[in-house]
Amino acid sequence: MPTYTINVNGNNRTVDAPSDMPLLWVLRDQLKLTGAKYGCGVGGCGCCSVLVDGDSTRSCLMEISEIGDSKVVTIEGLSANGDHPVQKAWLENDVPQCGYCQAGQIISATALLDANPKPSDDEIREAMAGNLCRCGAYGRIHKAIKSAAEATK
Amino acid sequence: MSISAPFDRRTFLKVVGAGSASLVLGCYSADAKTPPTEEAKGERLEPNAFVKIDPDGTVTVMISRSDMGQGIRTSFAMIVAEELDADWDLVKAENAEANPNKYGRQGTGGSGSTRGMFTTLQQAGAAARDMLVASAAQKWGVEPSSCRTEKGKVYHDGSNRSVGYGELTSTASQLPVPGGELKLKQKSEYKIIGQATNRVDNHDIVTGAKVFAQDVEIEGSGYAVVSRAPAFGARLTSYDDKAARAVAGVEDVVQVPTGVAVIAANTWAAIKGRDALVMNWDIGDAAGLDTAKLRSQLKAAVGEHKQMPAGAKVVSAEFEFPYLAHYTMEPCNAAADVKADSCEIWAPSQSPDSAQGMAARALGFSNDQVKVNLTLLGGGFGRKSNNDFVVDAVQVSKAAKRPVKMIYTREDDMQHDHYRHMTHQSIKGAVKDGAPVGWSHIAIKAGRGRGRGGSDFGNPAIPYAIPGAGLLKKDSDSPVPTGYWRSVDHSFINVVNEMFIDELAVAAGADPYEFRMGLIRNEKLKTVLRTCAEKAGWGRKVTVGHGLGIACFEGYGSYAAHVVEASVEDGEVKVHRITCVVDPGLAINPSGIQAQMEGSCCDAIAATLKAEITLENGGVVQGNPFDYDWARMDDNPEIDVTILEGGGSPGGMGETGYPSVPPAIANAVFAATGKRPRKFPIRMDEVE
Repeated sequence: MPTYTINVNGNNRTVDAPSDMPLLWVLRDQLKLTGAKYGCGVGGCGCCSVLVDGDSTRSCLMEISEIGDSKVVTIEGLSANGDHPVQKAWLENDVPQCGYCQAGQIISATALLDANPKPSDDEIREAMAGNLCRCGAYGRIHKAIKSAAEATK
Repeated sequence: MSISAPFDRRTFLKVVGAGSASLVLGCYSADAKTPPTEEAKGERLEPNAFVKIDPDGTVTVMISRSDMGQGIRTSFAMIVAEELDADWDLVKAENAEANPNKYGRQGTGGSGSTRGMFTTLQQAGAAARDMLVASAAQKWGVEPSSCRTEKGKVYHDGSNRSVGYGELTSTASQLPVPGGELKLKQKSEYKIIGQATNRVDNHDIVTGAKVFAQDVEIEGSGYAVVSRAPAFGARLTSYDDKAARAVAGVEDVVQVPTGVAVIAANTWAAIKGRDALVMNWDIGDAAGLDTAKLRSQLKAAVGEHKQMPAGAKVVSAEFEFPYLAHYTMEPCNAAADVKADSCEIWAPSQSPDSAQGMAARALGFSNDQVKVNLTLLGGGFGRKSNNDFVVDAVQVSKAAKRPVKMIYTREDDMQHDHYRHMTHQSIKGAVKDGAPVGWSHIAIKAGRGRGRGGSDFGNPAIPYAIPGAGLLKKDSDSPVPTGYWRSVDHSFINVVNEMFIDELAVAAGADPYEFRMGLIRNEKLKTVLRTCAEKAGWGRKVTVGHGLGIACFEGYGSYAAHVVEASVEDGEVKVHRITCVVDPGLAINPSGIQAQMEGSCCDAIAATLKAEITLENGGVVQGNPFDYDWARMDDNPEIDVTILEGGGSPGGMGETGYPSVPPAIANAVFAATGKRPRKFPIRMDEVE
C-alpha cells in the first residue's frame, strides 16, 4: 500500500492508504480528526468540508493521491480555542441545532470570507448553497457570516 | 477520549433507595424521605437522578431524553438551574445512559420532552436547593426560612453571610432528601427560564470536539457497512464474498439478519468491500411494486363520504402526498461491543430505553446486561425512534465477535428508512349562507398492517366548529416501512385541512382569515392567528404576481399560525417571506423556540416543493442529495418569528411549527395564480 505525507493543520502526517482513498476517511479513521463528518459521500451535502489551500473542499471526493503538498485545514485546526472570527460569530448567534453539519458550514464560511471579506447577501447564498443544514439554521448561518464579516472589517 | 464512564454504584444505591417508581409521579414520593444510605453519602450532592452538585460548584444536569437538535440539553438544564438558583456559568448537561427504572420514559418524540419532564426537573432543582439551604442554615444556626438563594449561593442577609453551593455539598448530602411536592417559583421570579440562551453544546460543535456516535473510539473496533435488500421484504438466497475479502483493509465478512456485513480497518475499505460482494436476492412479493401502482391502489380505497346536507353548495378535492425520507445529516449508525455476557452500545437513538430492550432480545440477554450510551443525534426528526440500526450494529458485533462501528451509507439511510406515509386524501365539504355545514375527510395511508384504521368517521382534527365534521383514516397495505416523521400525521392531515378550509372560504365568498376566525373554538389559537395576520399585514397589497396564504395549527399543547408570501416564477414556486406566530404557553428558551420555528419552515419548503421518495420494483429509487434534496440556503426565505405566552405549562415545540407551513405555501400559490396545487411536492405543470 502506498505511503503519503500530507500537511494537516500545519503538521506533516504520514499515512498508508490506497491511492483512491478519500481524504475524509484518512482524516476520520486514520488521523482520528473526527470534526469533518460523513454526510453523503458524493459531494452533495458539504458536511465533510475542509480547507485545501484555503478553498472549501469536499473531503469525501478528494483522493489522498491528489493532495500532494497542499495544505489541509480541518475544523480542529481553524483556531486553538474556538476563537476564529467565524467560530465566534457562530457562538454569538447561537447557530447550531443538531450541530452535525456545522463544521462544514464554518469551513465554507471561512473560505468565503477569506476570498471575499464583504460578501453581499446573494454572494453568501451562492457560496453556502453546497452546504446542507437539515435542521434549517440558514437564517442564523447567514447572520453569523454577516457579523463575522463586520467583525473582521 | 473517554468512552466509558465507570459504573457509579453510589448513584445507583441512592436512586434505588429513593424509590424508582416515584419517577412516574415526579421525582419524589414518600419513599424519597428515606435517608440516604451510607454509600450514598459523599462529597458530591446528588439528591435525585437529575442533578449532581460537586464541591467545585459545578452543577451537572442529567439529560434523560435525546437531543437531536431541538435543544433539550439546554432547556432541561435551564429548568433545573432555575429552581436551584444555580449560577448558569457552572451548569453542565450530561446525557443519561438508558435506564428507565432510574429516569422513567426516555423515548423522545411527540414534542413531549419538555412537556413531560418540566415538573420533574423543577422538583429536582428545588429539592437540591432545599438541601443546600438547610445545610447553610444548620451551619449558621439560623432558620432556613431566613435564608435566600441566588446564582449558586445561599445568603443570610440578617447576618450578612453567604456561602457557595460547592462548599455545602458534603454537609447537604448528609441530609434527608425532601419529600412531597416542593414549593416552586412563580413565573415572575424566573431569571433563567424565558431568557434566550445559547446551546450548551455550541463550543464543542464549532470546534469539532463534539462526539457523535461515529466519533467514539473503541479499542479493537472495526468499521462496518452492511449490504442490504434491494427491495422491501426481499430474502437473501446466496452471496459470494471472495472479491470483497480481497479488498485491501477488509478484515471480515459476516452474515447478519439484514444482509451481509463487511468489517474493515477503515470505512472506505468497508464500503469498497461491500460494493465487491455478489449478492443474490429473491425480491418476492414486492417485485413490480412502483409508485404509480401504489397511487392507484390508495385512490381506489377511498370509499364513501359522509352525506352532505341538502341545499348546500358542495366542494370536493383530492390530495396526494409522497413517502418522505428523514434524511438526517448524520446517517443511521451505532457502535456496539458484544461480549459473551454483556453488550455496550453507543448510539444516536431517540429511544435508548427501547434500544436496550431490543438489543437484549436480539442477544438473549436481560436488559441489565446491555449498557446503552446516548450520544448527541445529528438530526432525528422521528427516524431514530426506530432502533433497527442499533440492532444492526449489535448483530454485526455479535457475528464478528469484536466491537464495531456500523454506519449506513447515505444510500442505505435513504433506502432503508421508516418513511413518512404516502397518502391519498379525499375531502368533501359544504357551505350554506356563508358558513360551512359539512366536512368529510378520508385519508388513505400506505402502510404495513392491512386494515388498520377504523371504518367510522371520527374526530375531524380541525380547530373549527363545523357541524357533523368527520375524518376517516385507513391503511392500505404496502411493504414500505413507515414511522414517525416531524409532526407525524399532522404533516399531511393538517395540510389538507388548512388548504380545504381556504377552498370553503372561497366557496362562501369569505376572506380566508376572517372565515377561520369565525370558526375557531380556542381563544389562544384565535389570538395567535390574529397576531400573525397583523404581523404579516394580511390583506395588504403585494407585488404583482405574489400572493399571501394563511394557515394555523393546534397540537402538542401549543398553537401556531403562518402567513406565507409566495410567487411562481418560470414555473417554480418561490417562497419570499414567512411570518410565524407561536404560543407554547410558557417559553423556556426563546432562542431554541425561534430555531425550531425557522427549521420547521425549511422542512416545509423542502417537503412542499422539492422532496419525494418513489418506488421501483419494490425498492426506493432515491439515494443521495442529487435525487432527494432538502432546502438549501438559497431556498430559505425571510422568516419572522413571534413568540406569545398564553400561560400554563410549556407546550411542545419540535413539531408545532411544521403543519401549518405547507398549506400556507399552497394557499399563497392559489392567491398568486388562481390555481390550487393538490399534489405534493408541488410542480406547477401538474396543477390544473
